[in-house]
Amino acid sequence: MDTVENAEDVQSDESEYEEIAHTAAEVLELMEEAWLNEKFAPEILPHKYDIVECLLGQISHVEENLTNVGNDDLRRSLHQMELDRLRYLVSSYLRMRLEKIETYVYFILKQEEERSQKGEENYLNKNELEFAKAYMQSLDQHFTDRLHFWPGNIPTEWKNQLIIPNIHSFVFMKAKNEIEGVMVSHVNEEEEVVDLRTGSQILISYSNVGHFIKTNQSCLI
Amino acid sequence: MNPEEVEFLGEKQLISIIPTFNSSTIHLVSGDIGPFRASLPVNVPLWVAVNLKQQRKCKIQPPDWMDVEQLELLKEAEKASRNFVKMPSEHYMIEGKLLLSIATDDIARADEVRTIIKDIWDIRMAKLRSSVNTLITGKSYGNVDNLTIMEINSMRPLIPHAMDQIHRMKMERPRFSTPSQSTSLGLLNSSTVISTFK
Amino acid sequence: MYGESACSLVKELDRNRGTLPPYNNELIGEVEKEICHLIQQNVADDFKAHEDSNVGAGLDYTATIRTRHAIIQRNLRCLLAYHYNRLRCLRTMRWEFGSILPPDIKVNLSHAESNWFSKYSSMLATYMRSIGDDGGVNLTIDLNPPKALYIEVKCLVDYGQYELSDGSLVLLKESNRYFLPRAECEDLIRQGVFQHIIN
Repeated sequence: MDTVENAEDVQSDESEYEEIAHTAAEVLELMEEAWLNEKFAPEILPHKYDIVECLLGQISHVEENLTNVGNDDLRRSLHQMELDRLRYLVSSYLRMRLEKIETYVYFILKQEEERSQKGEENYLNKNELEFAKAYMQSLDQHFTDRLHFWPGNIPTEWKNQLIIPNIHSFVFMKAKNEIEGVMVSHVNEEEEVVDLRTGSQILISYSNVGHFIKTNQSCLI
Repeated sequence: MNPEEVEFLGEKQLISIIPTFNSSTIHLVSGDIGPFRASLPVNVPLWVAVNLKQQRKCKIQPPDWMDVEQLELLKEAEKASRNFVKMPSEHYMIEGKLLLSIATDDIARADEVRTIIKDIWDIRMAKLRSSVNTLITGKSYGNVDNLTIMEINSMRPLIPHAMDQIHRMKMERPRFSTPSQSTSLGLLNSSTVISTFK
Repeated sequence: MYGESACSLVKELDRNRGTLPPYNNELIGEVEKEICHLIQQNVADDFKAHEDSNVGAGLDYTATIRTRHAIIQRNLRCLLAYHYNRLRCLRTMRWEFGSILPPDIKVNLSHAESNWFSKYSSMLATYMRSIGDDGGVNLTIDLNPPKALYIEVKCLVDYGQYELSDGSLVLLKESNRYFLPRAECEDLIRQGVFQHIIN
């Protein structure tokens, strides 16, 4: 029992520098929010690797501390269960991003390049970007090899007909604070301005509210 | 979202238990729980409560709202209101389902509680169905204030998808023969090819 | 009829969603042959059109050439759709089966598909290793939200003493109910000693 307590002390010491910004519990909440946002946003969102890495750090700490505890310990089973929950959350988040990257790979890489040119932050983390490039290259190669039979120049126009996310799709959004002046575009090219109270929930086209998600003023549910 | 995921989210809700054991504080990543003193109530996340209950290490203290009289009032309010009434818990269905399956012995008149929760859910669902029409024919957005996550999830994927399709049809102009915004129109995607063959 | 083989390719995809039937070399060969044939005809007509216009009279080939071009494009699209969707299916199998495919699936792949699978497999592994700074995260596990570690089981036979992995002993008696760690129960449930009680 003592070992766990001691180990837990060590854990909080080591993560002290993170506590300036967030406690572990707050980080977990941020991860849950990022998970939901990524789940429901049609496009890929700016990555949250700082949160992912912080949570992974927590996971390894707890794992290390658990090796010294007996099997029958209540603490152990609760820590173990929590680890399972944390691991699920992090992997599920990363998996969803990977699925989007694969589906929209040409489109996403094009956007990332435009962002780099404009000096904007990339949405993909460095490793995701590498994966995306490798994945696109593997598709290119696979199709190009298959089209070798083609008399004359092998067609490449298919690379420009991208699968792109439908950013007009409808999502459920919850305002985290008061938001004034949400522009809702109507079909007849009119625009309506809607104000949202804190906590109000709305079903709306993602294209009208995507920036509120990215700027952390609201979240998807 | 599948039901397991909704449940996953609901399980972090705090719930009061009366432990049958003693233990010092446990430092979970999601926050400290305990210290546990036998027969002194303490708040823990629902997933912890379920686990301890299953190991017969605690009694559950049902949340205040999980009570026949309270629920009857809530049910009447829900019936009387045109809008959705704010629920006492963001995850009332999850809490109800989990606690009523593992802790019936700790909940007074558990069967009645179960029935009323189901009634409230049904009333809200009926309300939801009848408001869908206004939702999808009227504006380009819809208010879903006071709906809980599980209720919102029950509208998926049908309602957002329907709004999406309506939006798409309205936006479609004759001169746009090349659709510009669609997940399914990429050359590599077979589904559109298939549908034209059918 | 032109376009028919390509159409069959796509129909084959549709019929076999989520599975990988044998790579259809024969049908693909036909589509390719058709494409080549149509391109050759277009080249020839284009040449003739030029000659005719030099003479100052002759047929208008535009409509024919355009129609052939449309068929070529459609065939191309079907061909790519066929290959792309098979890759997507293979991708899903990497997540399900890991880096080694069951032999009954492997035989259905083309050589290029096998190559792609290994490539995908290794790029995924590289990515997963790169996550965090503790040797990476295996994303192919923890697929579902965790459920209770303990489950309730009913013992169906007088089993006697059973040793749990932590060394403690449980006496299993017929028709008694137990709360045990899920992992400990799975074998006994399969053997028919336990029945899992689901509320």
